[in-house]
Amino acid sequence: MGNSSSSSSRSHDETVDFGFLTPQGVYTGPRDWNQTVVTQLICARRLAPFYRPLEDYDDSWTDDQILAARKELPDAEGQEPRLEQPPLASSVSSKASHSKRPNTLKEPSKPEAAVYRGAAECPICFLYYPPNINHSRCCDQAICTECFVQIKRSEPTTTHLVSDPAACPYCVQENFGVVYTPPPWRAGIGSEGSPSSRSDSPKHSSQSDNPPTHKRRQKSFSADSPEVVTTDQIRPDWEAKLAAVRAAVTRRANRRIIMRQVGDRLIPVGVTSGRVHALSPEEAATVADNGNGGTWRSRRRRDGGGAGGAGGLEQYLGQDLEELMMMEAMRLSLIEHEAQQKREAEEKQKAEEQVKNVDTASEPIASDSGSGPVGASTSSASIESPSTPSTSHQKNDSLRVKKGSIFSRSRSPSPVPPVSKQSSVPPFSTLGAALTSTNSTASAILRSSYSNSDSNSASIPIPENYSETSQAPLLPKDEATNPAASSILSLPSSSSSTTPSITIAPVATSPIPQTTSPDSLPTLITMASVSPISPLTDADASELYESLPSSPEENTSEPLIPRAGKVKMENTGTNDKVRDGNRAGEFSTADPEHVEEA
Amino acid sequence: MASISARRLSKELMEIKNDGCPVGINLIKADDFSTWWFTIEVMGESLYQNEQFTLQFRFDPQYPISSPAVQFIVTEGKQAPVHPHVYSNGHICASILGNEWSPVLSVIAVCVTLQSMLASCKEKQRPIDNDRYVKHAPENPKKTRFHYDGECQCYRIIPIQDLTIRFL
Repeated sequence: MGNSSSSSSRSHDETVDFGFLTPQGVYTGPRDWNQTVVTQLICARRLAPFYRPLEDYDDSWTDDQILAARKELPDAEGQEPRLEQPPLASSVSSKASHSKRPNTLKEPSKPEAAVYRGAAECPICFLYYPPNINHSRCCDQAICTECFVQIKRSEPTTTHLVSDPAACPYCVQENFGVVYTPPPWRAGIGSEGSPSSRSDSPKHSSQSDNPPTHKRRQKSFSADSPEVVTTDQIRPDWEAKLAAVRAAVTRRANRRIIMRQVGDRLIPVGVTSGRVHALSPEEAATVADNGNGGTWRSRRRRDGGGAGGAGGLEQYLGQDLEELMMMEAMRLSLIEHEAQQKREAEEKQKAEEQVKNVDTASEPIASDSGSGPVGASTSSASIESPSTPSTSHQKNDSLRVKKGSIFSRSRSPSPVPPVSKQSSVPPFSTLGAALTSTNSTASAILRSSYSNSDSNSASIPIPENYSETSQAPLLPKDEATNPAASSILSLPSSSSSTTPSITIAPVATSPIPQTTSPDSLPTLITMASVSPISPLTDADASELYESLPSSPEENTSEPLIPRAGKVKMENTGTNDKVRDGNRAGEFSTADPEHVEEA
Repeated sequence: MASISARRLSKELMEIKNDGCPVGINLIKADDFSTWWFTIEVMGESLYQNEQFTLQFRFDPQYPISSPAVQFIVTEGKQAPVHPHVYSNGHICASILGNEWSPVLSVIAVCVTLQSMLASCKEKQRPIDNDRYVKHAPENPKKTRFHYDGECQCYRIIPIQDLTIRFL
């Protein structure tokens, strides 16, 4: 154990006054404080080092007994405290210490044991530490560093949006902080510079001022005193965490559920927001059963206020889980109606095919509400499927509508009654985007969903922000046998006018990503940059998002439209003409307008 | 190395065994460091004379940094005291079990506090929202965010789950 001989082996830079820079295993929970700050404070002798505690202590113990009582570290990390330098040990050997135990003077003393003379019990963990222990700034009660770093503000939750400062566990005064009085000698880190360090040893100190008992001080320190180390100092990120939770709540409050109307039912297919959010199955069911969109809408319209600027902190939140949950909810929702939709689609398909045969132009498709091009859909995004045309029509409509009020649009099917498919498309695109971003399997889901959507000519309520982004999507899609898929793909293609091939997952290009906050979906963002929409900066997107809930007028949708990329996309989408085959090629080479003309 | 919870509880247990419990409080079960049972009765003049209740403590590994889950046992023929802060399912609305918990408090300190809470009771009655709370209460009282109203003693209880749903 650490006597002078062994001490030399250990580099002295790992300890401070025979204590350590890291916890010694008293607590097993996560170390959520800032260890760098703690280390600095320990080295600066403003916070007691992490001493290995004694399970028990008695003044009559010998050094060996003390060392034997020290807690062993659970893992290899813990080493015996070593003397920083041989000289120190030698000096130590000149017994002196232990004022309380005269008899120990006769034994060669061990500094790492000597520091425990007069050990103090921490009232929280009930373990014993060297008498140079931290004391609460307010009521001067002892607290070991192990326990001190465990004390923190109340964690803000979505239901409790405040972070109360940690109160003193002893006197309940707010802004808990401690004051540390280091021993008069130094060892380990920081000892080289100080002249007295070498000669000083724990024993010396004990000699000089007898038992290192803590003299009760008369005054308390204020929380902002330079001597005080507060719980906030070692968790400097508490404000960021609080802001992150607040932002999350605000974001949720601003969310809108994207509904798809199937018959007289509304089916949630996604959620708007910078962040995709899950619907609980219950909630989804409730919403689905509730024909009246107004209710749920208003229920959700809780304005958290000032969400701006919080986006960067979202990383703190469990977004992945939320997104996964949402995906699952959407998937279930889609599966639920898939069978029905297929049935309808088949019926319609006949009619549609007939129409197609008659008319190659978009008309046929448009006339058939989603059902039409079930089989026709193309596998590659670039390729248009017959179905696409219909979607494109719808988009045009949606665009017009969107500027007005999203709500109106969402409630009522797309303006163009004939083209049932159209309405379905936008939601899908968003959904697709979300899915892709979150899950690799998303594309598969999307396709299925799309097909469904095409078959169903449901009106999709679109969130306000949605209108902007949504318009574009309707392009041809993949073969996947899903007409719906085509719609999704189309969006990318249109957007990708610059990019030759739209082979990219349709989803990625979907509008939604852009609306999402910058940090949320990396992939999506990238896509966005590529797409015509790119003009929108992340910041813009976030702004849009923010403004969406409360103020439709603010929607950037208008500005967006002017932007070539976006408008084009929408236009193209609307064109039935574009629908067939080489859409991708066309887009890549020509601008949307061109396509339309064609 | 034993967890902080086990280590501290073993010391508390040792003290209880060495020094005994305060009058009216008895440790009846402490087989491990996760659940302890005490009987508690109010000594002297009180509305609860000749009544004995069983108090259950459940500890998580972060005890004493995190508070124990404390409630009255209401099974096996045992009853929770009829008290404005005690729900019929045994859950207790006491700030020291919630936001005023301090790691300096101990099991015995909690027992004594609850004992005095009973002793000072003026009228035997259930919390106003007893029925509603009991219907939706989580199994673990720590999952309830009690609302501690100092003066009016009106404790609005909001199961956290409900809130979560509301915010979704």
